[in-house]
Amino acid sequence: MKIVLLSNVKKHKGSLIGIFLLMLFLSTAFGTVLTVWSNSNTYIIEQMQRSGFGDLTAWVSGVPDMSKLADYIESLEEVEAVEVQSVIFSNYTVYNQESDSEGQLIVYKPEEKRYRFFTQDLSDYKEQPSKIGKKEIYVSPSMISMFNIQIGDEIVFPLARAGSNMIFTVKGFYEDPFMGSSMIGMKGFLISEEDYHTACNILQNAGIDALARDGGMFHIFSKTNSITTSELNRMINEHTALAQYTEFVHSKEAIAGFMVILQNAFGGLLAAFTFVLLIVVLVAISYSIRSTMETDMVNMGILKTIGLTSIQIRRVQLMQYSIPIIAGMILGIFFSIPFSAFICNMTLTTTGMRIPIFLPIVWMIFCFGIILILLMGFIVLRTRKISKIKPIQAIFDTMPKMSINMQKKIGAFGKRIYLRLAVRQLSTGKRRYISALTVAIVLVFFASLIGRIDAWLGADGKGMMDAFNPADHDIGVQVFGTLDNAQAEAMIRSYSDITDMYLLAMPSVAVNGVDYTANVIDQPERFHMLKGKTCINDNEIILTEFVAADFGVAIGDVVTVQGERGSSEYRVSGIYSCANDMGNNVGMSREGYLKIAEDNPHIWCWHYFLADLSQKKAITEALENAYGGDVHVHENTWSGLFGIIYAMRMLVVFMYIMVAVFILIVTVMTGSKILVIEQKDLGIYKAIGFSANRLRVSFALRFGMIAVVGSIIGIILAAILTNSIVSFVMKLAGISNFASFATIENVLLPVSAVTILFLFFAYLAAGKIKKINLIKLIRE
Amino acid sequence: MKNVILRANNVCKSFYQGSKETQILKSITTDIYEGDFTVIMGASGAGKSTLLYALSGMDSITSGEVIFKGQKISNLSEKEQATLRAKEFGFIFQQMHLVSNLTLFENIAVAGYAGEPKDIKNIQDKTMKWLCQMNIESVKNHLPSQVSGGEAQRAAIARAMINNPKLLFGDEPTGALNKTNSEDVLNLLTEFNKNGQSILLVTHDIKAAIRGNRILYLEDGKILDELHLISYQEDYVKTRETKVNDWLTALQW
Repeated sequence: MKIVLLSNVKKHKGSLIGIFLLMLFLSTAFGTVLTVWSNSNTYIIEQMQRSGFGDLTAWVSGVPDMSKLADYIESLEEVEAVEVQSVIFSNYTVYNQESDSEGQLIVYKPEEKRYRFFTQDLSDYKEQPSKIGKKEIYVSPSMISMFNIQIGDEIVFPLARAGSNMIFTVKGFYEDPFMGSSMIGMKGFLISEEDYHTACNILQNAGIDALARDGGMFHIFSKTNSITTSELNRMINEHTALAQYTEFVHSKEAIAGFMVILQNAFGGLLAAFTFVLLIVVLVAISYSIRSTMETDMVNMGILKTIGLTSIQIRRVQLMQYSIPIIAGMILGIFFSIPFSAFICNMTLTTTGMRIPIFLPIVWMIFCFGIILILLMGFIVLRTRKISKIKPIQAIFDTMPKMSINMQKKIGAFGKRIYLRLAVRQLSTGKRRYISALTVAIVLVFFASLIGRIDAWLGADGKGMMDAFNPADHDIGVQVFGTLDNAQAEAMIRSYSDITDMYLLAMPSVAVNGVDYTANVIDQPERFHMLKGKTCINDNEIILTEFVAADFGVAIGDVVTVQGERGSSEYRVSGIYSCANDMGNNVGMSREGYLKIAEDNPHIWCWHYFLADLSQKKAITEALENAYGGDVHVHENTWSGLFGIIYAMRMLVVFMYIMVAVFILIVTVMTGSKILVIEQKDLGIYKAIGFSANRLRVSFALRFGMIAVVGSIIGIILAAILTNSIVSFVMKLAGISNFASFATIENVLLPVSAVTILFLFFAYLAAGKIKKINLIKLIRE
Repeated sequence: MKNVILRANNVCKSFYQGSKETQILKSITTDIYEGDFTVIMGASGAGKSTLLYALSGMDSITSGEVIFKGQKISNLSEKEQATLRAKEFGFIFQQMHLVSNLTLFENIAVAGYAGEPKDIKNIQDKTMKWLCQMNIESVKNHLPSQVSGGEAQRAAIARAMINNPKLLFGDEPTGALNKTNSEDVLNLLTEFNKNGQSILLVTHDIKAAIRGNRILYLEDGKILDELHLISYQEDYVKTRETKVNDWLTALQW
């Protein structure tokens, strides 16, 4: 058995090396996905616990006595403890670039040991500072990707009008397990207690001119796990005044979800890609087994005549393929460690976290164990035909051969002989090309799927922004203090005509006792509706799919919404899409909202549609220069979006590299086997006067034709399946408006790339034709 | 005076097993003449087929030269050698070597395209003509595996002849055929030769050898002797057989 095994390995070393390489790439990619995913999730939770985040964390402002409110909440039966961190909510400016979202100035207390600090080059952690100096500030590394901020740069916080700014100098970077990711617009800043008090004094003295707000983070820990965080939230809102002061509230799980959304989204896509690669590996193994059986039939027959059983021969085959599979797998798992470290380091300025890299042993054993069992089972299944080999039939080569359907004969050769030869070889040996066809289908399908996601995302991330915005707009302007919106609007018109406008506010409300952000709009017909009707009447509300599912309500049901002035019942008129807070938000009309809350001109943001979109940047700058802290301008984008678009582009590049590598390996594997099987025919062609180059072209054309057919099928499958598959994944991140469409990039690029790669690699693989020994063939 | 169609000068062919050299052809010098039916005979292992493939350029030689139309075949590029095989030479093999997934028609036509890729109509006409001449037009759409050995060999001959080769090479073309089919094939070759076709045939069958007008006897990689006969005539088969037999016996065959 050992002799037979070694001889087989030697004979089929090309295929086995191919399978080893495929497994190596597959295992490295999948191992990296598993490692990054597992470590990210575990580390975020660990760091959240270290930083003191409760089961529920509420961000509040305007609380008259935070200690009293905290004590009151703590006295509730289900609450174990409440910890309060003082913060100041304020906009900020870096390099004259105003933030899209508010920052939180957090008091740094070294004795609490809540945070970890990075070395200057972000390559490691350093000792936490004993104190933060006056006018010094520590920020998340994600500020580097968002604002290109560096140590020594200044950040301006406009706390009040009339130039009451606080200017801080960036002293270093710290790890923020809640607002650290560039996916989250809001950012946390660590400052000294002294500066915090200075800021509080500025706010107190500014009175109505204050632009910032003082407040706090309430970390609420539940006593037992007997109630869900929603139930805890509901209970606190029922029994305390917390809801009146809440800016927003999140559970521990939701915060972790925000932080790892990027890793999970791209990890999910990579995992899907590795699944595609696994199919490719299965196809390659299947083809290798089939062609091995075709070429080794006689040897197998001989082995049977000398007494080996089918089981023994199949065992040899199993061992023969297990060697490269297991070797590739083990090496790939080890390779995934440096790859994971590389990815985590590379994305540190996007995720804001320095994810440690430990092999998730249990997950690895579980997942790779399943893959190994799948592959072994597949090999056992594919080698079952060995049992049917009759020794004498095999030896005398009288086993049933591949049937040739003469009805499908191409007809006499005419012009384009290379093409017709290729077609004939394909039509008669089609089963040999199924592997290449399948590989072309799955690779083009996935490439097109990624292309469709990329197209949806758009060059400027509009698709993603539309997913996060309850309604479309080009530019949003919110005015404060005494500034009249008409003034801001006049300035906008001096740059571009305004084609349309509406008002949007995003206050916090409690729906059936649970806090949500409400998207309140004066033109509810602008909501991105999925089902039902928008909330035209003041007794109607619309929910996202996720909120509706959480409450178990459908269109027509009634929910109770509580605002700062009271509560009222609203009928669910429809389901809309908005991925803010991972889909945890509701939509209301202005009239409906004002039934339960006071109107305040400063909560409304004017959303404009511009005739000339190229003026967006100029308008933003002009408004900020003219009105400073009295105006907040935002475009239909946020800084973290560029991180996503960049990561998406990287994924596309990585995917195409992997596609090229896999096509190379599969083509060489398949091509080499076909060349062995067809070497006699090729020799005959050479003997009657065909040059090696003509035969190579004809050989490459077969793969080109296969690639075209496979690509077309892949494109069709992508068109049919992308929306349902990607929507499922997107919904995990709260995005429910995914709809793909065909573009030149996601149709022609995958088709042409895969076809050209197949053609090119097949031509290379067919180089052996030149070396075919005519005499050896003729004498065989 | 006959024209030389192919010339071999000191042709040597060796095989190496590690550092050990085995000489198969030992400095062979001979001419093949236009219009001749030349036969190479010899015992098994004498190097008959090796000489045939060396002369046809199908196999490389270790030293010496093979000259066709004033050109050394070994100096030709891979493409030029392919053109030579397509246009100037025809080959018939013992095992036919038809392309298994092409019909008989296609097997013949494809050789035509290899020689004259642009003359499609003419090739198709010629293919049909050869199918008729070989009496296999009824099986023209059959695959090689679906016809008899004789039909397959006739298709192989048609394939070899479609481009009107200057020289037709045959390596034991009757070796895998029964007596009737062998006779048919030999009759065809004789008829081609009568029409001026130069033929170089390797055989160990006296019935095939007597079709030639010149027989080379190869032993241990050298041409030991050669026998000249008048052109084949059916009436004198016995006489030719006796003459060849006596010659071979004298050579201790």
